[in-house]
Amino acid sequence: MSPGLLEVTDLTVRFRQRGRDVPAVNGVSFTAWPGRTLAIVGESGSGKTVSCRAVMGLLPPSAVVTGSARFAGTELIGLAEHDLRRHRGADLAMVFQDPARSLNPTMRVGTQVSEAVRSHLPLDRRAARERAIELMGLVRIPLPRRRFADYPHQFSGGMRQRLMIAIALACHPKLLIADEATTSLDVTTQAQIMELLLDLQAELGMALILISHDLGLAASYTDEIIVMYAGGIVEQATTRQLFASVRMPYTKALLEAVPRLERPPHSPLPVIGGRPPDTGALLPGCPFAPRCPSAADRCRREAPPLLEQEPGHRWACWFPCGNGE
Amino acid sequence: MVGRLPEALLPAVPGGPGAPAAGAAPPARRRRRPALTPGIVIPAAMLALIVGACFLWPLVYPVPPPVGGSILDASMPPFSPGHILGTDPVGNDILSRILYGGRVSIEVALAVSLIGLLVGGVLGTVAAYRGGMVDTVIMRVLDVLIAFPALVLAVAIAEGLGPSEMHVIWALSFFSIPAFARIARAGTLRLHGQTFMLAARLSGTRTWRILRRHVTPNIMPQLVTFALLGAGVVIILEGALSFLGLGIPAPAPSWGNMIALGQGTLSAQPALVLIPSLFLLATVLSLNLLGDALRKRWSVR
Amino acid sequence: MAAEAGPAPAGRAVLGSPGLRLSGRRLLAAIPVLWGVTFLTFVLMNLLPGNAAQELLGANATPADVRALELKLHLNEPFWTRYWHWLSGVLHGDLGASLTSGQPVTSILAQRLPVSFELMIYAFCLSVLLAVPVAAAAAHRPGGWADRLSMMVSMAGLSIAPYVLALLLIFIFAVRLQVLPAIGFVPLGQSVVGNIKSLTLPALAIGLPLACFYTRLLRADMVEQMQGEDYVVTARAKGVAPWQVLIRHAMRNSMFGFLTVLGLNLGTLIGALVIIEPIFALPGIGQVLLQSIHDRDIVVVEAVVLVFALIVVLANLLTDLLYALLDPRIRYGRPAA
Repeated sequence: MSPGLLEVTDLTVRFRQRGRDVPAVNGVSFTAWPGRTLAIVGESGSGKTVSCRAVMGLLPPSAVVTGSARFAGTELIGLAEHDLRRHRGADLAMVFQDPARSLNPTMRVGTQVSEAVRSHLPLDRRAARERAIELMGLVRIPLPRRRFADYPHQFSGGMRQRLMIAIALACHPKLLIADEATTSLDVTTQAQIMELLLDLQAELGMALILISHDLGLAASYTDEIIVMYAGGIVEQATTRQLFASVRMPYTKALLEAVPRLERPPHSPLPVIGGRPPDTGALLPGCPFAPRCPSAADRCRREAPPLLEQEPGHRWACWFPCGNGE
Repeated sequence: MVGRLPEALLPAVPGGPGAPAAGAAPPARRRRRPALTPGIVIPAAMLALIVGACFLWPLVYPVPPPVGGSILDASMPPFSPGHILGTDPVGNDILSRILYGGRVSIEVALAVSLIGLLVGGVLGTVAAYRGGMVDTVIMRVLDVLIAFPALVLAVAIAEGLGPSEMHVIWALSFFSIPAFARIARAGTLRLHGQTFMLAARLSGTRTWRILRRHVTPNIMPQLVTFALLGAGVVIILEGALSFLGLGIPAPAPSWGNMIALGQGTLSAQPALVLIPSLFLLATVLSLNLLGDALRKRWSVR
Repeated sequence: MAAEAGPAPAGRAVLGSPGLRLSGRRLLAAIPVLWGVTFLTFVLMNLLPGNAAQELLGANATPADVRALELKLHLNEPFWTRYWHWLSGVLHGDLGASLTSGQPVTSILAQRLPVSFELMIYAFCLSVLLAVPVAAAAAHRPGGWADRLSMMVSMAGLSIAPYVLALLLIFIFAVRLQVLPAIGFVPLGQSVVGNIKSLTLPALAIGLPLACFYTRLLRADMVEQMQGEDYVVTARAKGVAPWQVLIRHAMRNSMFGFLTVLGLNLGTLIGALVIIEPIFALPGIGQVLLQSIHDRDIVVVEAVVLVFALIVVLANLLTDLLYALLDPRIRYGRPAA
């Protein structure tokens, strides 16, 4: 297997707020490979977005990031902003959740795409414009030359997301992070965007990281899945392995919460009771213990470590689920 | 007179680079912010000092009278014996004129702000709440008053009524009432659409109660900060009127007319202009700082 | 792939159509305001004790003389007659003649307005040209030294009364340094440099406090954009340099709010004329107004007030129009997507 393109080791993020330290991410490690898709799945507040933004260096100044994130051999954590900027957009790119707000409403879309190009490539206005139109075509926006001068509000949600992807791809990045990229879209458009992303990945050989709260989405489109909870990884495996033998009760509960056609109509959807914990006020023991159906005393006292207990499959649980779904 | 204060000032100013990125875990519970930050205490103390000095000092510590000075004492420089800030060309003690003049400015500012707050606040709230014809009529009338440059209106009224403190208050109230009404109206409109208001109305609560218990406490912070910032504007305007000779009649002191009187001897005795200007600046600055600090404190994010 | 084509002619709607309609409505709404202003002025002026005749002749005049002059100036006619007389005159383009000097009002305006206009434009330009770069420097690094310094200075600056600032400027530049004139106006025709010099101190007196106010406002808006808006994160993720993000993205969007404030503050600018012009002995419209109120010269007062109100109304309209033209969301409307 080719060496990991992005190797994140023991990434920790804390936010300094008015003298207090609020932890957001606790010792997260993962690797992304070219041509493969990694999914990071979790509820809001699990730290999935913060981890990836930490790698990109897009967190506010109040964030304290420790650990390591090596991209093609270069250490990104702690890198000077000036140098980090050279990688951002060129080697690593990110697509965000809400394309309506993620695009500048008062700037023409074509300009926003060509801006991405000109930030890294020494092209003049005309060449950058051509490249931008090319990119817009690549993401299957119809009539790109005509629509170059339009404004974001003149596009539909799906189109805007394609624009975001075009912007992200401007300099042929080696790694693309899609942060809830399809969450705000309807199901059909969602499928289209995902297809587009995968096609582009195949074409360009990128590594792809999908951040989502939707395990079903992860199941359909990814090679490897990481499940995060309360700032840490609780289960990690290849997609096939994960769905074949779920171990962590949390993952199992997430799986069961996915609506399925096979269920009899009008049966209540299983939900996970309670709310995700506040990472700033974690109790000792396993963070999922308050909501876990299989929680025992040991779980509340001692936090289980994340261990590779089967080849290629890691989980953090004292009492994992048995074999089978 | 500096910058009409539009509603644009009122939206929240961000609390600095401290907000976590979207997706990060929110803090457990709001850390109790200290009620009194230096940003609030210092200007408030300054204000209290000035107000206290103007009203209390002459009662506690004997100062020479602000008018009727002897020509023998004319134009003494600061730090002269018996006259810590010196005297003016007519022989009046400057410190005493500053203190008594300050009383005027403060009284006017207080009166105009209160009138604006009460009358304008009620007008604006009622206009917004009633909506429809009432709203349109009130707003049109206020638009007319606002289209009038404030100073012109004030000048006209003060001219006609003759220079006096009361008349200045009337004149400036004409300006402050529409300004407060606008703020109150905007604030009430913002509340109007919110769910809790709908709930209150649906539960059959009487209009008056709604206004008192729901609307007022919610728009009060905006009105108060506006009042503080507006008080600074009022003091400057009062100074302007007095400067033009239309405010407090000479020889009674007011910071504005002291500056006007000092104009003639600007090169020879700049202190005559500088000292009241400094007090004016200090007062307005404290009001602005306090208003600004309170606005940041009370802004909802 | 589902048809996601945008609106047919690439979304280029009829230029400003929704914007123009809005402005048209505003214009109509402005007319009653203008009328209200003139009416209110008339009422106020009539409430003032005394009249032009009395002021002209002074305290020692005999009642008979006063009566005679009153008759001549039509001051004895009832309120409504006089108002209607004036209003119909205005609607026919005739602003009347000064009660005090007999000079036609239009010629007074023609003489005095250009001076005031020049001063206003000068002050306006100063305030904007100072505010924008300082605000940008401050917003670039919130909490940094440029930010703190500019906020402190601007807070002090906007707390100074314009007339105080005027005297201070005179003291420093005219009396001590002797580089700029304290009073007097040099017309453009006579000397361009002299003209600019004679207006610099007055423009500074009006423009500096405004600049301070604008700086704070713009800086707050830009910081809010930089810290709170998603498109800023996108721009950073693209690898755009921080200064570029500030100016090409944040400032662009802040300009809208700024424009509105600029329009609203025109009234302040005008009001400042009334007090600044006398200090610098500039033959402008502010001085005329002051004098006419004193002389109870209703005709002149009305005309000047009308001009002021017209400027304010037009400025507000212009602001709205610019807004509609510049904000692409309004200009190009919403497509049926």
